[in-house]
Amino acid sequence: MSFILRRIATTKTGKQIVRDQPLDGDTITLGRDSGNAIHVADLAVNPQHATIVSADGRHVRVTAQAGLGFDLNGRTLDVADIDSAAGAELRFGGHRLTIAREGEAIVLLVERIDELSQSSKDVDEARAFSLAGVLPGKRVGAWTFALLVLLAFLVGPIWTWHSYRGVDERPQGFHADQAWLSGPLSSAHANLKGDCQSCHVEPFVAVTDKACVGCHTGEHKAMSQAHANAPSGMLLAARAPPGIGGRVLAGFAQAFNKPPGRCVDCHSEHEGAGPMPATPQKFCADCHDGMAARLKAAGFEATVADAADFGTGHPEFRPLVRTAPGAKPARAVLGQGAVADFDGLKFPHDLHLQANGGIARMAASFRGRYDFGTKLECANCHRPEADGVRIAPVKMERDCAMCHSLAFESVGGVTRTLRHGEPDQVVADLTAYYRSTPPVRPLQLGGMERRRPGGYAEGQVYNIYFRERAARPARAADAVRAVFSKGGACYDCHTVTPPAAGKSWRVEAVHQTPRFLGKGWFDHDAHKETACADCHTAAPRSKQASDLLVPGLSQCRDCHVGESGARLMKVETATASPCAMCHDYHSDGGKPWVPARQRRKPVIAVTGTESRALYAVSWRAPNAGGG
Amino acid sequence: MAGLFSGKILRRRARATQTERVRERRHEGFLRYAGFRWAKISGGLCLLVIVSYALVDVQPRPNGGSWYGYTLGTIGALLILWLTALGYRKRRMTHDYWSLKAWTSAHVYLGLALIVIGTWHTGFQLGWNVHTLAWALMMLVILSGLYGVIVYATLPAALSNNRDQMTQMQMLEAIRAFDRQLHAAAQPLDAADTAPVLAALEEDPFAGGIRARLTGRYPRCATAAAHRALAAATGGEAEARAKVIALLTQKEAALARLRAHLRLRALLEVWLYVHVPLTFALIAALSAHIISVFFYW
Repeated sequence: MSFILRRIATTKTGKQIVRDQPLDGDTITLGRDSGNAIHVADLAVNPQHATIVSADGRHVRVTAQAGLGFDLNGRTLDVADIDSAAGAELRFGGHRLTIAREGEAIVLLVERIDELSQSSKDVDEARAFSLAGVLPGKRVGAWTFALLVLLAFLVGPIWTWHSYRGVDERPQGFHADQAWLSGPLSSAHANLKGDCQSCHVEPFVAVTDKACVGCHTGEHKAMSQAHANAPSGMLLAARAPPGIGGRVLAGFAQAFNKPPGRCVDCHSEHEGAGPMPATPQKFCADCHDGMAARLKAAGFEATVADAADFGTGHPEFRPLVRTAPGAKPARAVLGQGAVADFDGLKFPHDLHLQANGGIARMAASFRGRYDFGTKLECANCHRPEADGVRIAPVKMERDCAMCHSLAFESVGGVTRTLRHGEPDQVVADLTAYYRSTPPVRPLQLGGMERRRPGGYAEGQVYNIYFRERAARPARAADAVRAVFSKGGACYDCHTVTPPAAGKSWRVEAVHQTPRFLGKGWFDHDAHKETACADCHTAAPRSKQASDLLVPGLSQCRDCHVGESGARLMKVETATASPCAMCHDYHSDGGKPWVPARQRRKPVIAVTGTESRALYAVSWRAPNAGGG
Repeated sequence: MAGLFSGKILRRRARATQTERVRERRHEGFLRYAGFRWAKISGGLCLLVIVSYALVDVQPRPNGGSWYGYTLGTIGALLILWLTALGYRKRRMTHDYWSLKAWTSAHVYLGLALIVIGTWHTGFQLGWNVHTLAWALMMLVILSGLYGVIVYATLPAALSNNRDQMTQMQMLEAIRAFDRQLHAAAQPLDAADTAPVLAALEEDPFAGGIRARLTGRYPRCATAAAHRALAAATGGEAEARAKVIALLTQKEAALARLRAHLRLRALLEVWLYVHVPLTFALIAALSAHIISVFFYW
């Protein structure tokens, strides 16, 4: 009965040398201390680590001393009974103790199985010294990132598009293709943010007009009348040949199936939140700059003059005028001599706008009663429409009657006036007046006093009164004639035709043109800080009502320059004016549309004055003075 | 047959070799290759883009969908694909035109020009979408590449100084030698003193995550801890302990050199872990960007 300690050494060539050493006694100690029978040079082993005892030469009891135990079959134990015939492997620190039985002896094999230190282990130099051991591989990262991006930003959006195909309206919430949104939608379309398919219906097909008119019915639906009536050949011929950039864009557009002439060519979206930008001048000037020549070359007749830029290239205005009394309205060209517009009235502007003279004095006498100053101003007679855009036609009762009174009698404090606009009624009213009212009764005829005879003699009071009274009905015809003839109330302002061939007195019809410039748009409201005479320069000198007082292009150009500031003359405060400021492509009758932030803000100081109401008409006795 | 080779080709090749020798002698790297040829070309390209952007009046406002935007976008996308091809090119040996140095030089300078081409392509319209994602990835790739260029120009000298003519494996071998000596010297120590030494032996010199690699700081270094513990220890085996402490000091120095080496290498390599994966993410985002534009045309 004995223990044999076996040690195996490995030579450099890999040859193993086995040395056996019999150990005496039944009890053997194991530890780092050199006094132990089994000396294990391992720092992980205690100086006196364990005792190995065998009573019968076959069964072995291993007992660990205080502190570290040993491992047997993966468990850490302090005591273990082992049948050496069955064998066992115990672990002390980095060493392995194998217990086996050979013949009658118990063999204890001790060998180092762990490296001496961590650094002694074999390393793959290329991997250990680089970041490869610390970070996930570049290839893994590349594939992972690429796949994630493709899933989230390509597969996801296409899946979303596919799943809502043919659906009228997508539910609210997030949709994967919102990641494709190239820029915020304009405020008008902001609610479509999550529904790309409302406009982008088919894949790889550019947004069609059909998508626009699906919602924009009515006026928006058609092109403007002028453009809709033009044959497409004419529209194509009008286009200017594109420059380098235009050709590049057209090349892209053609190569990738993006047809020209769609709504979105002018109404560009995804250009930022807020109102959709006004259509730039370029989209008009593309055709209208030099268009006449191109149309002529293509065999079409040009109906409008060329326009490139308001500041430098715009035709003179062609207002709608009646060149003779009663003529049909036709377009005249400004800047080629005086233009007459017969509206049927007689009205000398110069007389009414004089700073002194009878009219100014009369106006001054009405101060306090009406909003007159020391003289008449334009606004005393001309009154804007409710929306402020245009000036309303002059109305006799409202705008003239404060001076040009038609009152002829006062009954119990109520003034009777002649009916304006109804000559037959005027005749009837005057006739009735003379028939029903006696002349003013002289004072001498009043009272109960007895009178002497002779009062009926020529020139005496009775004679004056009763002769007047007898002749009174016949006076009506004189009064009517007087009213319609020179010096009469009607004749002052109207052209009057005397009765003839069964017709009564006739007054020529008055046509006040509500809008002289039909193709463009002028907003008086936007110009209310400017004095009327600044633009209507001819008004203070105009002697005839037929003088056309519509300002010409040059008056506009005093302030308005081209979209990018182009101008022909010196301008102090320039207002950049794209085509869309005055012209509306879809011409739906309203003001040209302007983004809210470009709209003029109302100025308190100017809007503070209230527009006047209808003037009250009152009776003034002929001897009351005044005029 | 001799006539076939004695012609122009050979002369040209000889001239090219001669030029190459001159460059080798001057240590001309990819940055100053051919007298900054690609730097000049890229600079000119950027200038052209910036000036033409200022001159071209795109309506209604500059963006990627204008003709100018399409032009820059096409140039940029093709450039990105060509720049990516460096990864393929560097694995292929060629012997005459387009040396890898020339290719790398063009890669670096054209890549930098892409900042201008890509950014000006956007018309400075950025948002939270796939289009801006592609731009952002492009910028990250370029900036990581710029970092790479800078560290390639500055760090190799530090790497060489730190190495002190040792190879990497020699650095590791030095540590192993100290470990063996430590193991032997620590045998007489008692259990309390052995534990820290054992921990120092068990310490993996390559341990520590990316953070430790990049900063070179190892606050939980077991060797330093063992040094502190033994220096503070008292009683029994003072002589053996002094020997162990001396060995620990030496091991610490060897570890510091290795760790400085690892740090410099990490700084030299880390940008590629951004540059390469993000390049592929960029190509994916670029594909999504281009397809999305045509899908919702």
